[in-house]
Amino acid sequence: MTEHFDPSIIVARDVDKIYPNGCHALKRVSLEINRGEVVVIIGPSGSGKSTFLRTLNQLETISDGDIRIDGISLTDKRTDINKVREEVGMVFQSFNLFPHKTALQNVMLAPMKVLKKSREQAEKKGRELLYKVGLSERMHSYPSQLSGGQQQRVAIARALAMMPKIMLFDEPTSALDPEMVGEVLDVMKSLASDGMTMVVVTHEMGFAREVADRVVFMEEGELVFEERPERFFESTSNERLQRFLGQVL
Amino acid sequence: MQKQYNPLLWNAIFAVILLGLGYGIYAASKSIDYTWRWERIPQYLISTDPTEIRSPFDGTVVVEQGGKRVLVDPDSGDEPFVVEKFDLLLADDGDIVFEGDAVAGIEEWRLGPIGWGLLTTLKLSVVSLVFAMVIGLFTGLARISDNPALRNLAITYIELIRGTPLLVQIFIFYFFIGTVLDLDRFTAGVAALAVFTGAYIAEIVRSGIQSIPPGQMEAARSLGMNYVQAMTNVILPQAFKRTLPPMAGQFINLIKDSSLVSVIAITDLTKAGREVVSSTFAPFEVWFTVALLYLVLTGALSWAVQRLEKRLAASD
Ligand SMILES: Nc1ncnc2c1ncn2[C@@H]1O[C@H](COP(=O)(O)OP(=O)(O)O)[C@@H](O)[C@H]1O
Ligand SMILES: [Mg+2]
Repeated sequence: MTEHFDPSIIVARDVDKIYPNGCHALKRVSLEINRGEVVVIIGPSGSGKSTFLRTLNQLETISDGDIRIDGISLTDKRTDINKVREEVGMVFQSFNLFPHKTALQNVMLAPMKVLKKSREQAEKKGRELLYKVGLSERMHSYPSQLSGGQQQRVAIARALAMMPKIMLFDEPTSALDPEMVGEVLDVMKSLASDGMTMVVVTHEMGFAREVADRVVFMEEGELVFEERPERFFESTSNERLQRFLGQVL
Repeated sequence: MQKQYNPLLWNAIFAVILLGLGYGIYAASKSIDYTWRWERIPQYLISTDPTEIRSPFDGTVVVEQGGKRVLVDPDSGDEPFVVEKFDLLLADDGDIVFEGDAVAGIEEWRLGPIGWGLLTTLKLSVVSLVFAMVIGLFTGLARISDNPALRNLAITYIELIRGTPLLVQIFIFYFFIGTVLDLDRFTAGVAALAVFTGAYIAEIVRSGIQSIPPGQMEAARSLGMNYVQAMTNVILPQAFKRTLPPMAGQFINLIKDSSLVSVIAITDLTKAGREVVSSTFAPFEVWFTVALLYLVLTGALSWAVQRLEKRLAASD
């Protein structure tokens, strides 16, 4: 832990990831993210965006380099990775809600089991969070009874219940029908305006433009280019980025 | 177009075929001059014969209090043998009785040999099942572990058990392990059944866990849960639900396989059946009864599992 105030909460230095099958998914990726910052990562499929996001909470171990979360090195053997994960919430493309539990139970589970909160405390917090994401009415529904957009909002509430300092989003709207994208993005926007540190992989360029403090472009495992959004989309200096934007916009 | 079957007609045909089969059995027994003696069967399930109270020594019977109390005065002049609770008097005042003679009887219901056999089979199955589930759960988890020692141990155990006949395993447990560890027959039988069934349950547990999408484990871990917390709260409850049907099949097999332990002289339902046959000369009735009792056990189990499945279906 640092004594004085350190503005950066995520520091990735020269991160390399080689999967056991030999796939070189990340090549010397370095990125520093400040508290309260919203960083959007874009790039073609297979460029290593998910892999990078997953290294930030150690769902993937890294092959070389170092990652520090709030001053704690993930490569240090003495680091309790479960403690770090409590501070880093994650939202997946496929929601990954626990299907055998209701929306409220999904949100209550980790605070009770990991933070050892009482049932009453966990339920109070769970109800608050489900209210915040607009799902008070569907609290006792099972995931199979909810729409994709509703499920993803429950997943966000579930991650928030651990009171994380950082939220990671891996294409949170890619599996949704178009009419449900907005409701999820709205929740994410309000989270950003609350000052949450967010790293978001998405193809929603509108969200990047509107909410991001910085946009990062990845390609073939490399972090190619990063810029403030208002400059990012107008930038003509990078040929690879131009080609990609030409395809998606 | 799918063919429409008239349910009434075809159910009637089903009933006629069943009746025909029943008549076939009856006719077959007629052709070999078999006399059915079903009336002999109930006493082997539940016996209503009075329990006899026997004199512990030679002596003279004294009936007191108008037949409410009976005692035997020993020839040796020691303390008399007193019986106060009984339902029927089997000796008269002044009778000379020898050691082991019945003096009185108590009317009560007792399990007959087949009843005891049923109880033994039930006990054998339930105890083996509990151990088999514990063995199966841990072996299944070891089977998918990243640790090569655990994984290979699990694979070796599963292959050894699945590659050899249960009957041979029972003999090994009884004659080898049972002798080395000084196990009684029942314990050896339970151990053999539990170890055998555990190997199959391990494979069911493994496939159940592997059928849960990896995203479930990732979501649980990303919330800060450790491996054990994620397994017990997220993965196993889902796997449990999916494995209920094959698990039920395995439990039913266990009940039926338990009949094999009769070879090490455990008087389970099958062995009781064999003993009763040799004393009644009513083999058909006895074996049909034994089969029916096995059906009752397995049927009750299927029914219970189906109810559980319905209850767990709430989140589908
Ligand atoms: N578990 C894995 N094992 C092996 N290779 C993987 C695995 N996950 C991803 N990859 C490979 O790593 C590269 C980056 O993948 P990913 O991070 O999923 O990209 P993106 O999210 O940008 O589409 C791809 O070439 C992919 O095939
Ligand atoms: Mg991806």
